[in-house]
Amino acid sequence: MTKTTDLRYQPGFSLITWFCIAFLYAPIAVLVWFSFNQNRSVTVWTEFSLDWYVKAWHNEGIQNAALVSLEVAVIAMILSTIMATMAALVTTRTAPYRGLNLSVAVINQPLMVPEVVTAVATLIFFAIIKQATGVTGIGYLIAAHTAFCIPFAYMPIRARLEDMDLSLEQAGADLYAPPFKVFRRITLPLMMPGILAGAMLAFIVSLDDVIITLFVAGPGETTLPIYILGQIRRGVTPEINAVSTVFLGISVILVTFIFLFGKGKNLGKQ
Amino acid sequence: MKNKILTMIMALGLTFTMGTVSAAGELHVYNWGNYTNPDMIKKFEEKHGIKVTIDSYDSNETMLAKVEQGGSGYDIVVPGDYMIAIMIKKGLLERVEPNKMSNFKNVDSKWVNVYWDDGRNYSIPYQWGTTNFTVDSSVYKGDVNTLALMFDPPAELKGRINMLKDMNDVINAGLRYLNYPRCNSNKAQLKELNNMLIKAKTDWRTMDYSVIEKLTSKDVDLSQSWNGAAKRARKDRPELVYSYPKEGFTGWMDNVAVLKGAPNIENAKLFMNFMMTPEAAAMTSNFANYANGIIGSEPHMNTELTSAPEIVMPASAPAPEFVPPCAQEVTDLYAKIWTNLNK
Repeated sequence: MTKTTDLRYQPGFSLITWFCIAFLYAPIAVLVWFSFNQNRSVTVWTEFSLDWYVKAWHNEGIQNAALVSLEVAVIAMILSTIMATMAALVTTRTAPYRGLNLSVAVINQPLMVPEVVTAVATLIFFAIIKQATGVTGIGYLIAAHTAFCIPFAYMPIRARLEDMDLSLEQAGADLYAPPFKVFRRITLPLMMPGILAGAMLAFIVSLDDVIITLFVAGPGETTLPIYILGQIRRGVTPEINAVSTVFLGISVILVTFIFLFGKGKNLGKQ
Repeated sequence: MKNKILTMIMALGLTFTMGTVSAAGELHVYNWGNYTNPDMIKKFEEKHGIKVTIDSYDSNETMLAKVEQGGSGYDIVVPGDYMIAIMIKKGLLERVEPNKMSNFKNVDSKWVNVYWDDGRNYSIPYQWGTTNFTVDSSVYKGDVNTLALMFDPPAELKGRINMLKDMNDVINAGLRYLNYPRCNSNKAQLKELNNMLIKAKTDWRTMDYSVIEKLTSKDVDLSQSWNGAAKRARKDRPELVYSYPKEGFTGWMDNVAVLKGAPNIENAKLFMNFMMTPEAAAMTSNFANYANGIIGSEPHMNTELTSAPEIVMPASAPAPEFVPPCAQEVTDLYAKIWTNLNK
């Protein structure tokens, strides 16, 4: 077989691939590179230094924003993943019922509606509640994040459930395992990779949300993306590069961890 | 496992409610990003035993959208001049009468009777500056004090110009260059303006807010700029000269104001009075790099700031013009020109 007749041979594809990779990652590489810059410019290189990491570490605004971001992302991740898991079960592990499609559409609504519409609607809705009850706090922000994180967590979990053969669960039920036991011992462990992927996605989506957070966040609830946005008019310093690099590192570690975890599960199955 | 998660959530929920119940001794400041000196805040906190939170916004309009709904929870906002006028009109600001506070005597009299808050019943000066342009004097050696450098540039500046991506700043500069009035609804004059801008645009390289980056990376040799940004850019590129065009230029002022129904209104008043002390005003200037309008603050300011030609206007420069918000009809016409220009 000559090279040209091999179906797997796609001329020019590796070039395109490299171009795409460069397109996606070159800006990030530049960002990381300039976080080690000595002067305060994010475009002119002078010499290597860790000054901006030290400055960012001591900057109270950044500290608070990073903590708020993590707090909101972690709680929204947990809540939305739990709800998404329940939603995925009820839309795949049941006999078809009236309104099934409608339920799926409602769950995925945050993906369909433009984010700014959700943001303004949420702002007004929460303002009414706040004025009526007098209750304030970060709970509103977490609720908003949880809501738009659900579809992101839902998709991989549902995909996983659809891929899973029903026979194991049926076999379990045949052997007189009560439904909860079937769920606990068969369904849940099998869908775990999907749940982890969903949780991951929810975490990342919450972490970098700007529009909804901008509208909903109350006093003392500035998240890192909002903090960065606020810097733009006055000029971005490499401090922001340093913080972004740290967060990039956290994401990479998280993805690697989940990848390895998922792999371990699959190996165990074989 | 499930129980653990549940208890965790409940514990977290508890901490939030606990954190928000104790509202006494708090103050929530909502200001432009990177614009509040943390040392100044610390000084206020220590003096009055009040815990201050600072959140940031990126534009007057974002801030307005948020506080307009009510219940935002913020006490202090720092809107620009025209936004103060809008917010007073909409009834969003509390009439706290800073003009009766003990430190009001420090406010420079030229900042008292201003179009956005005549007599200062709602707000006090925070920082003020000018919007002009800055140009590399080693590239262009002639007189910098004319708007012609932006709208009819000499050969050495063609294609080396950055304009602010701001409708009012660009259009007002254009109107001054043509010697037409601001808030203009004269169709013939606006048509001429439109043609002039379209032609000038062929000599512009970019329209962008990131003035300092553009200048220090030598991407452009002239940029429309706020005076504070021009000063910071000059630090890395000493050849830059800030222009005070003879045709006139825009001044702006950000002001400290209290939101209507602010949860900590007494603390907000204390903060306002504190912000009128020369020491606090100087601390803000040293951090944000703009002038503050408080008499007696200069001795506390960095000499680097009080000697900067961008901050201290030369006597020969015309007085900055503060442009009130234009009528809707005018804004619509401007928007058309602006959209056309950005095509």
